[in-house]
Amino acid sequence: MVPEVNSYKTDLWVDWCPGCGNFGILTAVTKALEELKLEPSRTVIVSGIGCSGKIAHFVNVNGVHTLHGRAIPFAMGIKLANPDLTVIVHGGDGDLLSIGGAHFVALGRRNLDVVVVMHDNGVYGLTKGQASPTLQLGVKTKSLAKTNIQQPVNPILLALASGYTFVARGYALDVNHLKEIFKKAITHRGAAFVDVLQPCVTFNDVLTADYYRKRIHKLEDEGGWDPLVKDIDDRRSKLFKAIEKGLEWDSKIYTGIFYLDNSVMAFEERLSERLSRYPLRNPSNSKIVADNSRPIIGSDNFEKIFKDFVVYVRKGG
Amino acid sequence: MELNEVSLILGGAQGSGLEASMLILSRALAYGGYGVIADREYYSNITGRHSYIHMNVSATNIPRSLRYPVNLLAAMDSESIFTHFNDVANGGVIIYDRGVDGKRISDVPSMEDALKLRVLKHLQDLNIESDVASILTYLEKERRITRVGVDFTRWLRMLASKFELQPRVLSRYVSGIIVVTTALILGLDLEYVKYGFEAQFGNRKEIVKENLYLMDLIKEDLNQYGGLLQIKKPTINSDKVMLATGNDFVAIGKIVAGVRYQSYYPITPAADESFLLEKFEVIEYDGDVIGPIIVMQTEDEIAAITSAMGASLTGSRSSTATSGPGFDLMVEGLSWAGMNEVPIVITYYQRGGPSTGQPTRGSQSDLFNAAFSAHGEFARVVLSSGDHLEAFYDTVNAFNIAERYQVPVIHLLDKFLANSLATVPVPDLSKVTIDRGFTSNGGKDYKRFDLNHKISPRAFLGTLNTVMWYSGDEHDEYGHIVEDPENRISMYSKRIEKLQIIESEVPEEIKLRLYGEGSPDYLIVGWGSVKGVALDALDELRKAGYRGMYLDMKMLYPFPKKEFLKVISGVDPSRVIAVEHSYNVSISDLISMSTNVKIVKKVAKFTGRPMVLNEFVEAIIKLLTSKEEYKVLRYGA
Repeated sequence: MVPEVNSYKTDLWVDWCPGCGNFGILTAVTKALEELKLEPSRTVIVSGIGCSGKIAHFVNVNGVHTLHGRAIPFAMGIKLANPDLTVIVHGGDGDLLSIGGAHFVALGRRNLDVVVVMHDNGVYGLTKGQASPTLQLGVKTKSLAKTNIQQPVNPILLALASGYTFVARGYALDVNHLKEIFKKAITHRGAAFVDVLQPCVTFNDVLTADYYRKRIHKLEDEGGWDPLVKDIDDRRSKLFKAIEKGLEWDSKIYTGIFYLDNSVMAFEERLSERLSRYPLRNPSNSKIVADNSRPIIGSDNFEKIFKDFVVYVRKGG
Repeated sequence: MELNEVSLILGGAQGSGLEASMLILSRALAYGGYGVIADREYYSNITGRHSYIHMNVSATNIPRSLRYPVNLLAAMDSESIFTHFNDVANGGVIIYDRGVDGKRISDVPSMEDALKLRVLKHLQDLNIESDVASILTYLEKERRITRVGVDFTRWLRMLASKFELQPRVLSRYVSGIIVVTTALILGLDLEYVKYGFEAQFGNRKEIVKENLYLMDLIKEDLNQYGGLLQIKKPTINSDKVMLATGNDFVAIGKIVAGVRYQSYYPITPAADESFLLEKFEVIEYDGDVIGPIIVMQTEDEIAAITSAMGASLTGSRSSTATSGPGFDLMVEGLSWAGMNEVPIVITYYQRGGPSTGQPTRGSQSDLFNAAFSAHGEFARVVLSSGDHLEAFYDTVNAFNIAERYQVPVIHLLDKFLANSLATVPVPDLSKVTIDRGFTSNGGKDYKRFDLNHKISPRAFLGTLNTVMWYSGDEHDEYGHIVEDPENRISMYSKRIEKLQIIESEVPEEIKLRLYGEGSPDYLIVGWGSVKGVALDALDELRKAGYRGMYLDMKMLYPFPKKEFLKVISGVDPSRVIAVEHSYNVSISDLISMSTNVKIVKKVAKFTGRPMVLNEFVEAIIKLLTSKEEYKVLRYGA
C-alpha cells in the first residue's frame, strides 16, 4: 500500500512556530519516503521529546513518540525484533547528545541499520530556550540569562568516533539537498547519522538563517570530495578528511556526506552469524504458540531441550 | 545412627571452585535420589573473600529451608573454620586441610575486623587460643566434633605427577577433593560422585579421569571416616528431577513462554538469567529452529527496558532482567509502558539496598519500589514466586498477564532464589498455556487505543496496511497527542481501570496460596522466598503443639483484597505474623493500605542472609507467647 503523493503527511495541524526549521525537515522526510516509495506500514519513525519529537505524528507512517533521549534504544528494539522495517529516529540535539548521549554512542558501536536525524538548533526549544550541547561556548542567545559556559560537542566527530558508517549534515532550509541526504541515509545499510542544522526562530537569535547562509558550503562543491571508504586501508584517510571538515565551523560550515563506509558489518549481519535463519526468522515472526494455546516447547520436548538440568535418578539402590 | 537429613557448609575463598563443588555434589546427590537445596553466600568480590555453600540434603523429601547448626563443615581454608566452627552441631564433622593447623585468626587478612573481634571475644570466653588446631581440639573435646584433617597438597602432588599437570592448575582440583571427602563422610555410593563429575565436566573426559583418580586416592586414605555421618537411603519416589537455580528456572520459563527479545545490563544477581537465555538463543530441534531469542547487552538499564518495549511493539514477547539499582533506572520506561499499554516483563531480583548496598546478598526490601515507582497513575502487575518451580510457572504467567491486559508485569524475586540450587520436580508442561491477549489484524482505520474496548485489540508494528502511533503524551484513539479533558478522562480511566479487570479475572492460585491446617491458631503472612522456611516452620511448630497456616501472597499488585479478606476473616488479628527479609516488613503496610487489616506482629531479617528454620521457629513462638511484636533475625555468617 504505497500512498498517493503528499499522503505521507497526516492531516494533523503542525504546531511548530511559524518559520521553524522543523517544517523543512518534515518536508524533506516525507519527500524522501515518497520518492523511495517506502510502505508506511513497514516504516517507523521513532522520536524523542521536544519540538522535534512531534514529527512522529505528522508523518503518515508508523510513529513511536518515546521518552526524552530514548528514541534510539526504542528504535533498536523495533529494528532487531522486526528487521524488515525501515526505522528512522528523530531527536533534538539535547535529546540525542545530552540526555541520550550513551545511546547515541552505542548505536554507532553496533552499526545497526537505523537512521538518526538530529534536529540541531542549539537550544532546548520546548522548555524555552536553554543552551543545548551544540551551542558554542561564550554565546548568549536571547533566551539565556547569562552566556553559555559549557563547551559544545561536535556531533560529526562524535558520530565518527562512535562508529556510524554514514555521517552527514544537512540544512533544514535547503529541503532538496536534505531530502537527497535522507534518501542516501535510509538506503545505507548500517547506522546513519544526519546532523540537520536548523534555526530556532523563537529562542536562538545567534544561529539564524542569516548566520547559516553566510557560512554553509556543500562538501560536494569542494573539488574531488569523495567520502566513500573504498577498502579497509582507505578508512583511516577518509576518517581524517571527514574530521577535518567536521572541525570547520566559524567561517565555513559544511553540509553533505562527510563519511560513508560500507565495509563494516551491520549489526543484523553480525547477529545472523550467531542466529541461524535471522533476519528471515526473527522475534516478530517466529512462532511461540502451538495448537490449543500450548507453548511450542511441551511435555514431549522439554526434557530433551533442557537435558543439562534434568537428572535421571539412578535405578534400584 | 543414620540421618534422614544432613545440613552442611562448604567454605572457601571466592574463586576457589566452591560453586563447582556445589554443582558436582548436588548432581551426585540428585542422581542418588536425595533432595537438595543449596544457598550460595558470597562477597561482592572476584577472588579471595570468604564464600560458602549452605546445603540441606534430605533422604525423605525435597528440602525447603536451610538449617543451623550444620552436621558437617568442609573447609578449604582456615577462614572457613574461624567463621563457621560455631555453626557445627555437637557430634558433627569438620573436614579441613591439615596444612592450616597452625593458622591464627590474625593471619587471615581477608576476614573483616568486626567478625575477627567477635570470634576472638568468643574464643577468649571459652579460654582457647585463636589458632585452628586449638579450636579443633576444643571442639573435639567439648562438643564431640570429629576433625577430619586431610592433606590437600599430597593428593594434588600425586595427581600432578600422575597426569603431568602444571602446579598452577592444581588448585582447580580442590573442589573435587571437597566433594569426594564430603561424600565419603555421608557414606554415599561413590558411583553417584562419578556421575556428578561426568555431568559437570561433560565431554572433558580428561578432567573426569583426573578427578576419579583423586577419588580413589581419597577413598583409600579416608577409609576410616566412611559413613561417619551416614545418610539414609533415599525414599523420595521420583525417577527424575531438575537441578537448577532460580535464575535458571526463570530463564527456562521465559524460553517456554516464548520470549523473543531479552535485554539486560550486567548486574548481580540477575545476569546469570540472561547468560542462560543466550545459550538457548537458537534451539535446533527436530530439524527446525525454535527462536531466535535476541539477548542484548545494552548500554544501560534505560536502554534495556526501552529496547524491550520497542521489540514488544512488533509483537515479540519481550523482557528484561535486573536488580534494584537497575530497576530504578528503568522507572521512566515503566511509566511509558503504562501510558502506551505495552506488554513487557521485568524480572526483578532483589538484593540488599539502599544504593549499592550488599550487592551479592539477598533482600525483600523492594516491594514498594516494584509496586509504586514511576510517576503518574497506571496499571501494572507485581507477581512474586515462593520457590524454584513457582518461578518457572510464574514466568509464563507474567507474559500471559502482560499480553492479556497490555501492562508491564514485574516479576519480583530475590537473590536467595536466584542463586540457590535445588532439586525440583520436572514442571508439568500440560499445565502451561500461552495467552497472547486481544490482537487485531489492523487495517486502514486501525486505532491502537480504540475506546470501544476496555482493552484495545493490539496490532503490531509492521502489520500489513496498518499504521499506528504511540506517544508518551496523552493521546487519542489513534495514538496522537491530545490534551482535551474529556479524552483525558476516557483514556486515563481506561488505563487505570484495567486493574479492576485484572483483580477480578486473574485466577486465585496466581494471587495467593494458603498452606497448613484449617482453623489455625496462628497465621503467617509472607511472600517470595520466605515460603520454604515458613512451611517447614509450620511442621516444626505442629510438633510443639501449634496449629498454623502460611499465607503466601503471590500477586502483590493489584492487591487481591477479596481473596485476602476471605482468608483472614476467621483468624484472630493478634495471631497473625508478617515475615519478610526487610526492616519494615512492607507486606504488612501493603495489606493495611489495601484492606485496612493491621498486622502488628512481624519477623524481619535484613542481614542479607536467608532466614533459617531454627531462628524462624523461635521467633514465631516468642511472638505467639509474649507481648513482643517485632523480632529481628540475625543468624548466619
